[in-house]
Amino acid sequence: MIELQKVAKIYRRPANDEVPALVDVSLHIGRGEFVAIVGESGSGKSTLMNIIGLLDVPTQGRYRLAGVDVTEFNPNDQANMRNRKIGFIFQAFHLLPRTTALENVELPLLYSNRKSISGLARKALEAVHLADRLQHRPSELSGGQQQRVAIARALVNEPDLLLADEPTGNLDRRSAMEIISIFQSLNRDGRTIVLVTHDQEVARYTSRIVRLEHGRIVADETVEESKVAFAQEAQ
Amino acid sequence: MKIPRLIRNSFLMMGRYKLRTSFMMLGSLVGIAALTFVLSVGQLAQQKILEMVGRVFSDSTIVIHAGGGMMMGGPRGAATRLTADDIQAVAKEVPGVADWDTQQSVTLPVRRGDATDNAQILGESERWQRVWNRTATRGDYFDETAVRASARVAVIGETVAQELFGNDDPIGADIQIGSAPFKVIGILEPWGTDPHGMDEDNVVVVPVTTLMRRLSNLDKIGMAKLLINDPGQAEQMKVQIAEVLRQRHALSTGQPDDFSILTATEVHRVIGEIQRVIFLYLPLVAAVSLVVGGIVSASLMLSSINDRIGEIGLRRAVGAHSADIRLQFLLETATTIVVGGLVGIAVGYAVAEIAANRMHLGTANPWLATALGIAASSVVGLLAGVFPAIRAARLEPAEALR
Repeated sequence: MIELQKVAKIYRRPANDEVPALVDVSLHIGRGEFVAIVGESGSGKSTLMNIIGLLDVPTQGRYRLAGVDVTEFNPNDQANMRNRKIGFIFQAFHLLPRTTALENVELPLLYSNRKSISGLARKALEAVHLADRLQHRPSELSGGQQQRVAIARALVNEPDLLLADEPTGNLDRRSAMEIISIFQSLNRDGRTIVLVTHDQEVARYTSRIVRLEHGRIVADETVEESKVAFAQEAQ
Repeated sequence: MKIPRLIRNSFLMMGRYKLRTSFMMLGSLVGIAALTFVLSVGQLAQQKILEMVGRVFSDSTIVIHAGGGMMMGGPRGAATRLTADDIQAVAKEVPGVADWDTQQSVTLPVRRGDATDNAQILGESERWQRVWNRTATRGDYFDETAVRASARVAVIGETVAQELFGNDDPIGADIQIGSAPFKVIGILEPWGTDPHGMDEDNVVVVPVTTLMRRLSNLDKIGMAKLLINDPGQAEQMKVQIAEVLRQRHALSTGQPDDFSILTATEVHRVIGEIQRVIFLYLPLVAAVSLVVGGIVSASLMLSSINDRIGEIGLRRAVGAHSADIRLQFLLETATTIVVGGLVGIAVGYAVAEIAANRMHLGTANPWLATALGIAASSVVGLLAGVFPAIRAARLEPAEALR
């Protein structure tokens, strides 16, 4: 699903010094995987997530998404690809205020080339158990419900890949578990999910953990391996 | 498929931000209302002016005023030297004069019993009806005999009749003008209010000779109106008239005229000037308010972009091209301004109707103002929308989502 080959991202600052955000990152994520990308803030995980999500382009290296080399894509191609292949879930939900749950979920459909979009948003909301909240505005929903609306929005175009950036960061524990269990069930249904987090505990509900430090991948383990490493560290 | 959805979504978003949308609308509403108002009232005022001028000043008219200098107004009365004989001489010596009327006027109280009305008293010749194209609708106008005999007869305007007689029949009744008694022999055709706001029906017409002897004690006239056979000859006749008058007044070369001659050419020039003010300068003032409205709307939209950075980032993330963002913001601004403009047209037109009613200008034809209002608001809407739209579309998605 995701193939990154020696990807680097260097930010050039006005003072003309170069800040490497990612260095030599090669990463393969297969279809149906549930992967956590973890790291401290400044480790480059947001940059990596932006590149995977086609919101940013690498300075070096190549990127293939769903079998297509997207390295040289122009902004419109990227937008089309995001629309069709990727569903985004953000820490801050990014729901439009004053706009109903249904209208929020319809948003990706606006920009798709589908001929008919009726019913799809409702179906997506039903899938996250919000069938009774279609006409509610974000301000009338709890944090967990808002994030479920965001998940419905990410799912509405039936993307191959779900990309979640600290999806539980703004939620209490109970809501966080709710969201994670939704991810797990989506993954069981075969959906590829990449979850970016700094929360070790959240990461352990995935099946594979990729650890970034200073823009490099320093560990890439299954959760079982990670648990052992975690235990050793704790001792 | 995509565009209609985007348009629908833009309308949805406008409805969700009612306060901002209404403030943006207000900007164009006020500007367009001002424009519509100025154009409608201007159109009516122009019609009124043309109508009034056309009534007293056709292309075959030449007016001679006593006193030099200003075309209208200026010195009158005792200081001037224009006489009825001068005009008689002009009519005889300058070929092409079809008819003429001499006029002297004063303002005096007119009384009947306890009722008093300050009216303009016009001393005219027996040819006045023909030359000024205004008749006595009831009773009679005086004839040449009355003028020669300085008869104390008066033809009164509607306003005077109302003030002095109310529902009584004025014809044949006695009135007092100044301190002299007169007999009412007729009622004038009503003319309404002139563009200066003067009531053209608050007048009394008496023989010019009577006015001179009984009321003003002056043998000079204030003005004369000539009708000529060929409008094409007016400018040439103006020169000839001036020659005759200068000779009769014994003016040597270098001395300025002590009279002024007004032809249709000058009148058209003045009307043109008035039209320029009405249709260029006044709309320009209104346009300034429209531009201000546009700038207010544009800056409201610009500042709203800062509030909506997250929205823009999200839309980009879920697949919006930057052209889609541009379209959305342009649509939101332009639609808001155009809708504000449409309401503004209605408001401006309604206020114009009320004002026109008060000023007795008649009913405005709304089409010119409406067409211009729609055009102006569309242009302002697009211009005001372009900059915010470009700003919004230029945001990098990753940046906007931060």
